[in-house]
Amino acid sequence: MFRYSSLDDDCTLEEEDDGLIEEEDEIDQFNDDTFGAGAIGGSSMKSVQCCFLQENSHFFELLRNFLEVELFELEVNKYLILNLRRQPYLGDIIYVDERSGGSDLAESLARFILDADPAIAGVGAAERPAPSPGSAGSVLSALRGLDQSREGSLMSIIKEAGLPKRPPQGRADEGHDLSERAPPPRSSSPVIGSPPVRAVPIGTPPKHPMSLNHQIHHPTAVHVRAPIQHRYPAPFPERLSPNTLLNIANSPLCRGPFPPRVGPVLSQLQRAQLLNSQHIFMSASLQVAGFPRGGPGPPLLAGGGFRPFFGGPPPPHGHRMGPPPPHGPHNHTPPIRHNTTHLHPQHRRLLTQRMQSRGGTGLDRRSRDPYSNLMSQKEKEWVTKIQMMQLQSTDPYLDDYYYQNYYEKMEKRQERERDSSSKKEHATKLITPQVAKVEHTYRPVQFAGSLGKLTVSSVNNPRKMIDAVVTTRSDDEKREKQVWNKRRQILYTVEKMYSLLLEVQDFEKRFVQTPEEEREALLEQHKTNTEQLCSSLQEKEWEDRVSDEQCVMIMSVRKGKRLIARLLPFLPASQGAAVVMVIARNLPALAKKDKQDQVLCCLVEPVSAVIQSLSSSALTDLLQELQGGDGQLAGVLQNKVNHQQTVAGWLISQPGRTCVRSPAKEESTELVFSVTRELLGVPSSSLSPPLFTPPNLLSLFSRYVDRQRLELLQDKLQ
Amino acid sequence: MNYVPGTASLIDDIDKKHLVLLRDGRTLIGYLRSIDQFANLVFHQTVERIHVGKKFGDIPRGIFIVRGENVVLLGEMDVDKPCDTILQQVSIEEILEEQRLQQQAKQETEKVKMQVLKDRGLSIPKADNLDEY
Repeated sequence: MFRYSSLDDDCTLEEEDDGLIEEEDEIDQFNDDTFGAGAIGGSSMKSVQCCFLQENSHFFELLRNFLEVELFELEVNKYLILNLRRQPYLGDIIYVDERSGGSDLAESLARFILDADPAIAGVGAAERPAPSPGSAGSVLSALRGLDQSREGSLMSIIKEAGLPKRPPQGRADEGHDLSERAPPPRSSSPVIGSPPVRAVPIGTPPKHPMSLNHQIHHPTAVHVRAPIQHRYPAPFPERLSPNTLLNIANSPLCRGPFPPRVGPVLSQLQRAQLLNSQHIFMSASLQVAGFPRGGPGPPLLAGGGFRPFFGGPPPPHGHRMGPPPPHGPHNHTPPIRHNTTHLHPQHRRLLTQRMQSRGGTGLDRRSRDPYSNLMSQKEKEWVTKIQMMQLQSTDPYLDDYYYQNYYEKMEKRQERERDSSSKKEHATKLITPQVAKVEHTYRPVQFAGSLGKLTVSSVNNPRKMIDAVVTTRSDDEKREKQVWNKRRQILYTVEKMYSLLLEVQDFEKRFVQTPEEEREALLEQHKTNTEQLCSSLQEKEWEDRVSDEQCVMIMSVRKGKRLIARLLPFLPASQGAAVVMVIARNLPALAKKDKQDQVLCCLVEPVSAVIQSLSSSALTDLLQELQGGDGQLAGVLQNKVNHQQTVAGWLISQPGRTCVRSPAKEESTELVFSVTRELLGVPSSSLSPPLFTPPNLLSLFSRYVDRQRLELLQDKLQ
Repeated sequence: MNYVPGTASLIDDIDKKHLVLLRDGRTLIGYLRSIDQFANLVFHQTVERIHVGKKFGDIPRGIFIVRGENVVLLGEMDVDKPCDTILQQVSIEEILEEQRLQQQAKQETEKVKMQVLKDRGLSIPKADNLDEY
């Protein structure tokens, strides 16, 4: 990371170029010179050339250590003057040359650090390596700018340098910036190129947590740029940790007093910790160098690192580096107004009650803990903001189904209870904010007149790797696949119908939720949905009749059976009846297919509901259908498989109902006879117990059959 | 419920003593100092507590950063509550020894089981390679 080589004072850029192609062993030697024995003993360090690559965080740590340890030695012996120069294309290189002629240590340090830290070097200095003439010029201008601020106070220098995130000024003089070359005219796709690179790794909490929402919801068009290595500023905490403070206190800083003018900055150091200000932080880090013993000498614990202190009171770490934090124990007493508008009023009430009951426990402990509040307020808000953003939903009814339903039911209950008494307005209505659904249609980028596809890909426009083209299969393959295709077709149909069905089922709930204006549209949609559902069951040629084949196909799939079961109540009467007829007609086949799935019983309820509404003639037709084949009925009755219980029960109930309703009909007599015949025919052991028997079935049978048979029937039915 | 009423957040748990159980079975106890949106946790003055039977031992570990996906559960520890459990604290060496013995015993039984299954021509894949799939 660091390469040091001693240079003469008048080395030129070219020489440095060569000098940078160093061998590894040189590094160690110079490393040693700087950090090892060679350095500490005497201040023979004439000059230091730091070549640091993109790892500024490491640089800063090392730099700080370096400054703490080394520069105090130097300060005692000689004054360091830092001459800074920037060299592009090889990373960032900083030269620290010794020169006679005395200059303010603090100021030069400031310059050193300010120019080194890309975050602060916003003053005209490039945030990206520009061609050398440009950069030299800019750096010089930066230096000039700094020179002008000779006030002897560091704060002013920092103010001059400006905020870390200030957009680069003085770009006017950099006409050569090759990275700003515009791409050729586009023919499509508004969003192109990488998302705007902030000079901070993605995971870092922002120092100005304002633009998060904006950036995520409004992706802006960005020019395509050549990929540039941005230097990231060191992701520093905004305060010095207690450990660092301990290190500072125990470091060789305690040696000599500093020029008095640095005195008042100590309070700034403390203020930096306390107020988490980033500007002051920089001065604080600089003042690491200038730590005077003006403040009260804190008897800090030597084992500054960790020590598990569980179960006991916090250690006697009462002394701090100066005045106690001004906002210590009062964090929780002022009542915090939260944004609870998205919650149901009842929910809100519950929450406030809960919060009040909790009260202010645990305040004192936190104020005594020296490591508390490592996570600053801004950082907490940042995390909270991210979490809240994740909660935004385009369809709260879908995403937050249980919450919405629960409070809906509660509202209904309350309305019912409060019905007559008071005319309470709808104060307890839940209003959930909804984020508008933004459709991001992505069209791959094509430049006019270019050959082939673009290679620059990013988060917003992923590269199209495969051109999927539909090809027709050859004939021999076709036959094999036909079977599969058919099944796939069925499954596909079932899925489509299911989604329609779900929408139809939710219609009522949705209807209540939507405001008045949108109800029309919803109704329309509902109608189309139901129509579509009906039509899907129908024959292709005859629009009115329910397709046998289609129904059977659907029923051959487990999901299809469930679908039909759910669908039946929503179908118009005629169609429902037709479907039931189809089922009856194909019952044996269906029963056979259902052996594995065993879902036929789910059909019982809706089918019986339909049957109840059937007219008597329809019923007789139905029964006839049931008896269609020879011994079909018997076969069905005999089937021992578990679920057949219900089917058998169902069957038995039908003639019962028929007869109950229209005892005078002649066809029914026939049917009853046949039914009884079948029933008798089947050995009772194989007859599975029916689900339900209409109460007067026996009495009905008694009308038609003689005593013997009646008794047999009785046995069988029980 | 501090910042976002109606939701659960770890913000209120900051600077409190917590016990966290990790996916690899370790139990850590420490002061929760920082979190992020993935529930990555920063623990301070962490202690790894090993339980073997009725004994337990604490190994001081310092600062821990736990990746959020490895947390099984996390709970605040009440420092005021009197500690009247039947657990007995022992020294680190002892608990590590106990743990080693426990591991050994488990391995023995596992070996026997595998042998028995092998004799019958059955095989059950080891759970540790499967992870959660």
